Amino acid sequence: MRVIVDDSDVDVQAGTTVLQAVRLSGGFVPTLCFDERQEPFGACRVCMVGVRGASGPLPACTTLCRDGMVIDTRDETARRIAAATVELVLSELPQPPGEGTELAAIARDLGVEGELRWPGAVHERREDLRHPYLALRQELCISCGRCVRACDEVQGAFALTAVGRGFDANIAAGMDQGFRDSTCVSCGACADTCPTDAITEISLLAMIER
Amino acid sequence: MSRNLVEIIRRHHELGAPTALEVLKAAVADHGELTDEDRRDAAARSGLPEAAVHGVSTFYDDLLAPRGERHIRVCTGTACFAATADAHVDELRDALGCDLGERSADGSVSLAETVCLGYCHSAPAVREGEVVDAGPSVVERVLAGAIRPAREPPPRSALDGPALLAFGHDWAGLSRAIATLTPEELLDVVKRAEVRGRGGAGFPAGLKWEFARDADGERKFIVANGDEGDPGSYIDKLLMEERPELLLEGMALAGYAVGADHGFVLTRSEYPRSKPALEWAVAVARRAGLLGASVLGSDFAFDVTIVEGAGSYVVGEETALLACLQGLRGTVSARPPFPAQRGLHGLPTVVNNVETLCNIPLVAREGAERYGQLSPGPTSGTKLICFNERFERPGVYEVCFGTSTRELCEGLAGGLRDGQQIKALQIGGPLGGILPASLLDTPFDFDDLAAVGCMLGHGGIVAFDETTDMRALATHLLRFGATESCGKCFPCRIGLRRAHEMFVADEDVDRERLEALLETLELGSLCAHGSGMPAPIRSLLEHFPDELGIA
Repeated sequence: MRVIVDDSDVDVQAGTTVLQAVRLSGGFVPTLCFDERQEPFGACRVCMVGVRGASGPLPACTTLCRDGMVIDTRDETARRIAAATVELVLSELPQPPGEGTELAAIARDLGVEGELRWPGAVHERREDLRHPYLALRQELCISCGRCVRACDEVQGAFALTAVGRGFDANIAAGMDQGFRDSTCVSCGACADTCPTDAITEISLLAMIER
Repeated sequence: MSRNLVEIIRRHHELGAPTALEVLKAAVADHGELTDEDRRDAAARSGLPEAAVHGVSTFYDDLLAPRGERHIRVCTGTACFAATADAHVDELRDALGCDLGERSADGSVSLAETVCLGYCHSAPAVREGEVVDAGPSVVERVLAGAIRPAREPPPRSALDGPALLAFGHDWAGLSRAIATLTPEELLDVVKRAEVRGRGGAGFPAGLKWEFARDADGERKFIVANGDEGDPGSYIDKLLMEERPELLLEGMALAGYAVGADHGFVLTRSEYPRSKPALEWAVAVARRAGLLGASVLGSDFAFDVTIVEGAGSYVVGEETALLACLQGLRGTVSARPPFPAQRGLHGLPTVVNNVETLCNIPLVAREGAERYGQLSPGPTSGTKLICFNERFERPGVYEVCFGTSTRELCEGLAGGLRDGQQIKALQIGGPLGGILPASLLDTPFDFDDLAAVGCMLGHGGIVAFDETTDMRALATHLLRFGATESCGKCFPCRIGLRRAHEMFVADEDVDRERLEALLETLELGSLCAHGSGMPAPIRSLLEHFPDELGIA
């Protein structure tokens, strides 16, 4: 079947997502909870696009293409919702995201800058730095679920889980005893996929410096 | 939902293993709070990884609040709010010396919040152990250690002859279907009857069934959604506890039409009587040959298992419900895949609301045409509705779709007690808009209510009298929304918290910032919780702007 992404025709197979079609067309849609090694999750709502005939913007990662679909990656409403959502995410962090993180890059792409419209409670600082290679900083977690899925779908170690509910949602290693005492196999897939600095690899260099 | 975890659960289920949630619930009931040993035990017995079990143990209300020798659960639902403006909560908190979610230092008593106990007809309600007491003096009785089970008003019908609520259950619909209809013909009858889902969304039940029937799967399941979480609603409670046979018959009919051999009912832990009532009805039906390996002597096999939840509003959403049923965290999953394609244990599953399924025996017995004529307007069948304690005659009523809301409130329920006037109604749960008294003549049907920013939802009607502080109502609703957000999608997880913070603060709410936040929730959220919570706030903005403290 054929879909139209921002004026260019793209031939896709049944079962293709809108996000895949956009990428096939050479286009770009910002994403936060998506990792192409994992099943789409649909949590961050940042990959919003306009679809002709739809009642509102749709998430590209979990929407399937239909023949003749007309997709607009620059749809104003979609971009406004995505930007507002990223603004909300920034408001839950006790500090701005590191310059080199995916989250910071997405915020720049969506033009989220300056004073936040909805300031409020932020995540409490809670760090676990006891593992030799992996550092966990829960206050920087945005609950995108990528680390949990990497541990489940890619590595099969099941050492990570989502915890809590609502605003207090976060992640934990094992039964919250940290990476070192969980079933973690130190593969680093979680740190590799994390879009913030919530899970980072402790590099050899940093260890020497420390 | 993780495919790997679902497969682990499916294999363990086939071996007769309990779910992690069942093991954790039993541990809390046994010794009042969870330990790491309990979590390890739940992991070993259910087959779930320890981390996943830990995640489950941090999600459900019932697993979080520590229990003392006396465990007091106070209802903070909307009907209780309408009755006391939450004074009953403060009184209990002060007198017991415990905050919500706390246990006294000596372990003698604990206080927890619960939403909602389904005693909206006699609010406020408080539960101790398995006993729910309700009414204006309930706090005094709790403090005196003298609680007693509250009485529940019998259901009434506004129809000439009750349809859904007819007494005497003869399983005639199932007998007729098995004797005279093929599964395809039954499906066709249900489709022609245009049975709309009663849970809130109004999706055609027949279409859902058809999707599941057409889906590939070695087995298929019927799931009854008994997670009637809407504060102010106690319709499914009545059906599950007083008419359980009706639900079982509806599920068997769904199984026959779809090609499913097993059904599950997810009941709420806030309704302690539902699971025992249904289990009793299942046992009786099995003995009578109405459920089991050969239903009514035919080659159709169908049986039903009852599972109780653990306290979470969003579990009423169908993908979250399936997660809960499998003992996982009750978070919402993006669709597709739809449950009809990949549901319970990864297999095609129909998820229908309890009242929807209770309509099916009537359809099978009377046929599509007679069912369609029960209501005069465009919607088929009848609707059960219920009223809160502010009304003169609260209770569950069977009514025709399309009746004017005024007639329901003033005629059927007798208007408000003590000469009070209706200031506004919330219809259909916390995601429904607020109907001001000036719009009481709106017909009670899906499209008419939607046209005025409200919804029929599940049919619970909560009246607020003239004394209600509308800013306090907005704050109450947003607190519920934020507390119950499952935490999966970003707009709802953070946005509802921010909306609540704006209203709970002792200052004016900035209209522009609020509107932008509501739009983000409406258009960005993954499920109806986040996208629906703005509806009552929008109505309050429209009809009571001067009472909200908006700048």
